[in-house]
Amino acid sequence: MAIGAVALGSAVATAMLGAMLDVGDRVNRELRSLGANLIVTPKSAALPVEIGGIRYQPAAKDEFIPEALVPKIKSIFWQLNITALAPVLRAQTEIGGRETPVDGVWFLRNFRAPDGTRVTTGLRALNATWKVEGRWVDDPNPSDRSAECVAGAAVARRLGLRPGATLELFGEPFTVTGILATGGEEEDRIFLRLEVLQRLTGRAGQVDSIQVGALTKPEDAFARKNPSQMNPVEYDRWYCTPYVSSIAHQIEETLPMAVARPIRRVADNEGRVLTRIRGLMLLISLAALATAALTVWSVMATTVLERRYEIAIMQATGAGNWLVAVLFGAEVAIQGAIGGLIGAVAGVQLSNWVSQSVFGVRAEAPALLAPLVVVVAVAIALAGAAQPLRRALALEPAVMLREGA
Amino acid sequence: MFWRFVIGAVKFRRRRLVLAFAGLAVAATLATTLFSVYSDIERKMRREFRGYGANILVAPAGDSQTVPLEAVAEAERLGAAAAAFVYTVGRVGDERVVVAGVDFRRAEPLTSYWQIAGARTAAAGECLAGSALAAHFHLSIGQSVALASGACVIRGIVTSGDTEDSQLFVPFERAARDAGFQNAASVVQVRADGQRIGQVRAALARALPAADVRVLHAIAETEANVVLKVRTTVFLLTTLILAITTLCVTGNFSALVIERSKEIGLLKAIGAAEAKIATLFLSESLVLALISSVAGYAAGLAVAYAIGRSVFTAAAHASPAGVNFAVFLPVALVTLLVAAVATLIAASRIWRIEPAVILRGE
Repeated sequence: MAIGAVALGSAVATAMLGAMLDVGDRVNRELRSLGANLIVTPKSAALPVEIGGIRYQPAAKDEFIPEALVPKIKSIFWQLNITALAPVLRAQTEIGGRETPVDGVWFLRNFRAPDGTRVTTGLRALNATWKVEGRWVDDPNPSDRSAECVAGAAVARRLGLRPGATLELFGEPFTVTGILATGGEEEDRIFLRLEVLQRLTGRAGQVDSIQVGALTKPEDAFARKNPSQMNPVEYDRWYCTPYVSSIAHQIEETLPMAVARPIRRVADNEGRVLTRIRGLMLLISLAALATAALTVWSVMATTVLERRYEIAIMQATGAGNWLVAVLFGAEVAIQGAIGGLIGAVAGVQLSNWVSQSVFGVRAEAPALLAPLVVVVAVAIALAGAAQPLRRALALEPAVMLREGA
Repeated sequence: MFWRFVIGAVKFRRRRLVLAFAGLAVAATLATTLFSVYSDIERKMRREFRGYGANILVAPAGDSQTVPLEAVAEAERLGAAAAAFVYTVGRVGDERVVVAGVDFRRAEPLTSYWQIAGARTAAAGECLAGSALAAHFHLSIGQSVALASGACVIRGIVTSGDTEDSQLFVPFERAARDAGFQNAASVVQVRADGQRIGQVRAALARALPAADVRVLHAIAETEANVVLKVRTTVFLLTTLILAITTLCVTGNFSALVIERSKEIGLLKAIGAAEAKIATLFLSESLVLALISSVAGYAAGLAVAYAIGRSVFTAAAHASPAGVNFAVFLPVALVTLLVAAVATLIAASRIWRIEPAVILRGE
């Protein structure tokens, strides 16, 4: 009975802690499907004059990011938090009597990061919710010989395009492989492979912006301080925390010709939603943990209470208070340890089950969780037993034994 | 006589009962907390997603460059927040800049992600500047911008990390007049309640056949996804925690009966019927369960309120954070049921107890 109670309590505790630690990360990944939260653009002397992707003033010729430097973003301190990046070259051309923006992009590209790992990334990795009618342009490797494009749904509606239709861009015929419907201003654009647009516009090796998706820590008051006014200790702490601002700062260090800006609509809301979910899970966990602790405590207290006669007999036959206390303490500790162990194992399974059924992946509970739960279970069991034990020991054995007759 | 037994049991075994009571009350507290949090979680999470701004866009269709302004009134009639925007190219000195006409009051709930230094709205003759534009022209709050169509005084600086940074924001009417728009806008942004988004889109599309009404899929889908997943997690955890606490309480209550085998033997020896003894225990448990559920309910509401307050933004017009009075009935029912079942399981022993054996032995 006592072991069972401890096991149940520890199972609740482990499952809650496992789920709590896991949910934040999972939701963070879920929210990352909303697209880039950082945008990298060349440092520019001119102000962009652009409405809905159409430029009303040509960009200066010498303002670009060399495509060769794009992989360097994966070499910053927080490189593992960069989940996706997509370099974009912008151009526009007249289609059907109207200026239409044309973007040269990586759709889903295999590329080698500076540390040698192979990564698949691009526009599709960044915007996991985007779907096309038809199919995407396939671009695993660089090539400027491709006559395929993806058209935004608004463009397609205006020109009456269907997947498989032919479209003339910059004097060359292209096959529309897919129609992209996002609801946003992407619907007014045409997407080509990056190298193809570089060739058509005579801008080989150049990109206009890099969209970056990064897993970040929600910004707190500390993150909003101005880094240039921090003391060295604060600066190190800021630099080594994956705030969106510190990641932007590190990208700027790597690409000196560029400016990296957090996209507030995505970055700030992501932080806020995550903070709420983490806070909610933490408080539910605390409530559950407190309950589990109380349950273990009360069961242990009951167990000792029931055995007052035994204690009295031991005392009557000459056992010292210390001996009795150590004897009972050891017993309670063993019960706590066994119960805690069973509970921890069961709890890890339960949190895996929750994670599996909600997010379709196993929880990544830290290895330290189970041993910690066992230790805490023993401590709480001992604490629960301590008070009634002290009371029992303080009573005269004679009084106790007569009462029980 | 019957109730004297019950009351006597409560009176004389106070400490033992306090423990059982505490266990059950804690379970009821937890149940109330979790039910309250769960019943409210969807509404709360959806509110957090409002910060992402518009989830429906009314854009010009075909060769048209504008959308009718009645889209705003139509969306508001459907219970959604909506704001019209006009984009034109203006001139400052000999440079071209994008001038955005904004209905500041309506746009506020849709642009809460704008980080603004200074004021959020601009009246006639005033404007807000994007941060890149302000830096480019070396402007600060209070200074005047020599816009070709008429100078305006900067009231605030907007930072969004997006195209807004290089725009100049003026009141909607002024930009529409400069652009020559009559009752029209470049685009209308709409924020519909996440659950009604399809409905609002369809109604808008019907009312505005000349415009292109699109759902911003990424935002709508992510919202639905995250809300669903968080809700399911809370639901599974609630079920799990309640199942485990129920098991604990069951053990506790069974012990109440088992401990008193001797008294049961005595009652049987002096001729009490088994059913009568079982009823005795059952009433004792139910009295206990009733008190526990009331106490646990009160405590649970307090905890749920605290969670609601400390986790979610407390909107002024919203109901007290997370408190849901309708959960009392399920909590009380569950508590009573658990106590009754636990007691009855243990009470089945009453029939098997032999008075002679139990009274003679230890």
